[in-house]
Amino acid sequence: MIGATSTIFSIVATLVQVVLLALLGPLLIGFMAKMKARAEGRVGAPIVQPLRDLRKLLSKERLHARHASAVLPLAPMVIFAATTVAIAISPLVTTRPLLGSSADVLVIVYLLLTGSIAAALGGLDAGTAFGGMGSSRAMTIGALAEPALLVAVIALSIQSGTSNLPSIVSTTMAHPDWVSGPSRLLALVALVIVVIAETGRIPVDNPSTHLELTMIHEAMILEYAGPELSLITLAEAMRLGLFFSLIANLFFPWGIDTNGAYAGLALGVVALVGKTAIVALGVSLIEIRSAKLRLFRLPELLAGGFVLSVLAVVTGLVTR
Amino acid sequence: MSTTYVGALELASGAVLVSAVMTLWRRQVRSIVTMLSLQGMGLAAVAIILAVHEHDKALLVTGGLVFVVKGLVVPGLLRRVSKLDSNSRESEPLVNVPSSLVFAAVLIVLSYVVSSRVTSFAPTEATHLTPIGIATVLVGYFMLVTRRRAVSKIVGLILVDNGIALVTFLLTSGVPLIVELGSSLDVLLVVVVLQFLVVSMGRHLRTDELAEMKALRD
Amino acid sequence: MLVILVLLIPLATTLLAASFAWRPWIGWTSAASSAGVLGLGIALCVKTSDHAAVLAVHGALRADSLSSFMVVVIGTVSLLATLFTPRTLRQEIESGVTNARYARHYVVLMEIFITCMLLAVLTANLGVLWVSIEATTIATTFLVSHRRTDGAFEASWKYVILCSIGIALAFLGTVLVYFAELHVGGTHHSASLDWTSLMAIAPHLNPDVMRLAFALLVLGYGTKVGLVPMHSWLPDAHSQAPAPVSALMSGVLLTVAFYALLRFKAIANLTLGTSYPRALLIVVGLASLLLASAMLIAQRDLKRMLAYSSIEHMGLLALGAAAGTPLAIAAVLLHILGHGITKSVLFLSSGEIYHLEGTTEIGKISGLLARRPVLGGIFGFGLMALLGFPPFSLFLSELSMARAEVDVGLWWVVAITLACLGVIFGAFARHARQMLMGAGPSASTGSTSTAGSVALPLITGLVVCALIGVVAWPLQSLLHSAAHVVVP
Repeated sequence: MIGATSTIFSIVATLVQVVLLALLGPLLIGFMAKMKARAEGRVGAPIVQPLRDLRKLLSKERLHARHASAVLPLAPMVIFAATTVAIAISPLVTTRPLLGSSADVLVIVYLLLTGSIAAALGGLDAGTAFGGMGSSRAMTIGALAEPALLVAVIALSIQSGTSNLPSIVSTTMAHPDWVSGPSRLLALVALVIVVIAETGRIPVDNPSTHLELTMIHEAMILEYAGPELSLITLAEAMRLGLFFSLIANLFFPWGIDTNGAYAGLALGVVALVGKTAIVALGVSLIEIRSAKLRLFRLPELLAGGFVLSVLAVVTGLVTR
Repeated sequence: MSTTYVGALELASGAVLVSAVMTLWRRQVRSIVTMLSLQGMGLAAVAIILAVHEHDKALLVTGGLVFVVKGLVVPGLLRRVSKLDSNSRESEPLVNVPSSLVFAAVLIVLSYVVSSRVTSFAPTEATHLTPIGIATVLVGYFMLVTRRRAVSKIVGLILVDNGIALVTFLLTSGVPLIVELGSSLDVLLVVVVLQFLVVSMGRHLRTDELAEMKALRD
Repeated sequence: MLVILVLLIPLATTLLAASFAWRPWIGWTSAASSAGVLGLGIALCVKTSDHAAVLAVHGALRADSLSSFMVVVIGTVSLLATLFTPRTLRQEIESGVTNARYARHYVVLMEIFITCMLLAVLTANLGVLWVSIEATTIATTFLVSHRRTDGAFEASWKYVILCSIGIALAFLGTVLVYFAELHVGGTHHSASLDWTSLMAIAPHLNPDVMRLAFALLVLGYGTKVGLVPMHSWLPDAHSQAPAPVSALMSGVLLTVAFYALLRFKAIANLTLGTSYPRALLIVVGLASLLLASAMLIAQRDLKRMLAYSSIEHMGLLALGAAAGTPLAIAAVLLHILGHGITKSVLFLSSGEIYHLEGTTEIGKISGLLARRPVLGGIFGFGLMALLGFPPFSLFLSELSMARAEVDVGLWWVVAITLACLGVIFGAFARHARQMLMGAGPSASTGSTSTAGSVALPLITGLVVCALIGVVAWPLQSLLHSAAHVVVP
């Protein structure tokens, strides 16, 4: 009964992925905060601090704005659900997760987009100035980043000849020379720009600011408190973890389990933690080295990302 | 056909196009000139890779020449021009940066569509990459048309030239050496001429914003 | 040997002018060298009249009757222009426009310019042809900015930018031709862009590549010729350059670039047949003609008027080349010669007018015939020659081109051409009446006589032009053998 054992393996692997990302996401945020603090000569909070914050928030009281509708409490759940599904079907520690066959790049992109829209609606729902402002800014950035993301993953699928994420990962492992090809490198740069925009890091957004003129993501979740804030923050952290893992696996898939063995799964977990830590280190280096861009300069950055992803597609077509 | 050869060729010609796009992206003349220098070196790399692959000594000489002229001398000259100019930013391009980047994307796709007919007639690893050269040419023209500053126009001209050189290498592994020598010399001289003009105009007109040039018209 | 000598003479003059400080005798040496080039050009014509080509330097240089004819054109026009060099420079030094240092630069650049043009027509390699035409851009840029005024800098800036991007297209076209040559019959040949071997394999070149290549070449060399989509540098550069430079640029530089087009058209004709090259040339030719006639009507500046007239004549040449029969090409070549002489006479006399009147604005010049009968007369006859009045050679060549065009069924092109020429005639008549007739400003002072050193070369030029128009027979066999180089 090979079919049954492999199904059980897939279920286990999927659960491992979700749990791992739920822990890894906040830890990556903590790790980047630590890196930044070190660079500034501070000791900084411990790496597990984001997890502690989440736990503390869970024990707090639920509070809603007076004019809020059902959207406000629903939004965190939608974000969390969409992100969890995306994580469950993506090739993170194994190329054989449950429902891996439906992990088309478009599915992942739109699951993530669903989360973004829910967050924006949640920000608008309370009817406060900051929430609306944050939502509108986040949507602007999203509208610019989304096409670049889509085109960049299309570049990857052109090279692999498939739009299924696990297949892209396994074909990449079969052709190591693709990784250094210009199409891949361009797509990588484009994706890094997109990920920085989508996860709200410097130079697009500053996650640690509460200055009303500059904040984007923080403004959107300003009206949340208690368990709902905890959920939304966790979902965002998982989203960040997912983006980092995808970058890691799409451009350097080695270490991921392909055979459906439990030993490979354990190795996959270790490899993923290591690879995402490297990505996080890279992103925090970018954060340390750059200043936040003014809002009206953002389109330049994201349009650059878009052109690079178009370049990736064209070079992919040319060199195929 | 070894994969390292193909990979290296793809990487070097990709670098040429990426640096062309980067020149549209950046505003600081200094970083634009750095991009131009990288582009020249990428171009030289293409020539040298082809030369090694085809055991072509003349092309190797050409590669060295390109490295010196386009990678070092021409950017060096431009750097001198930009140093003479205190305000070294592209202040107001006719088309803003995000739109020009999107336009560049359109041009890149266009060049892929256009050049397929020519390359299909002699398909090799190198000729497949011709669209990259054509795209560099088009980005250069775009820069020439939409940027106001004199230095940016010179950069556009050099982009056009580098793109044509890339097409030359990819399609024909370089034209005869005598022609190559002549054209490199011409490029160098054109840049010298333009530098002279920028400096003289700066002395006369107090600005090199070409929007001011309206003395001659019908 | 003759071929090498043609190039060595201006090269030696360059070195001479570069190694001595400016003296008027250097200017005269420059004129003598042009006369030498003209003489050698005629000798080359005689030598190549039996359809044989003269080769030199292991076949790198090659003179057939077309090249020899172009050498004669370059020699004639540069002789006219360099005869005025000492005078122009003396005037400019006296009025403080320039100094001895820049005068020396001027002579050196002028000789480099002439050498590059000669190399362009004498090389056997179409790549070297490109290199030398591009090199003329560099030399002439400094000549255009010679006066160092804002206008001159602006003109030379536009000139170098536009010509460089245009000529870059021509390079791309040349590269594509080379690519086609490399892959003849699908196998790798040794290719060299050599004219003779290209003509031999031209029927086997890939038509798709050649179509694109020829379009790029028309656009690219068309920039230097001054054909319409890329013409806008021409009026600026011609109006700002010193008169002898304008004469040389308008008289021969444009037609040397056109010579390159003629060569490539011969190859394209063998690969693609006549219809595609013809269609392209008709489009750019008619566009140039229409634009020039529109711009000439309301023209206010004398030198810009002459510049637009150059665009008009280049359009006529393109239409003649489009017809492409041996008669048409012979007429095109005759037109190149006639236009070269006439246009340089006009530019040189306009330089004299500028020197005397202090302006080139048409509205401010009047009564030239009454006040300066000789100069006014030369200018008037020059305009008549330019418009194609009967005794002059442009009449003969325009008529022959029209006949050739009708022969190949392009009567509608002839009809449009005649309409444009009518408009241009009206425009010129109006401007000429303004400048030549009337009493002129009463306060005009200065001498009314024109120096013999000015009048003599110009009158000789016009007389030669008229003589060619009346008795073309000494040229007939030359023109025909030159036309047969590009029309087999």
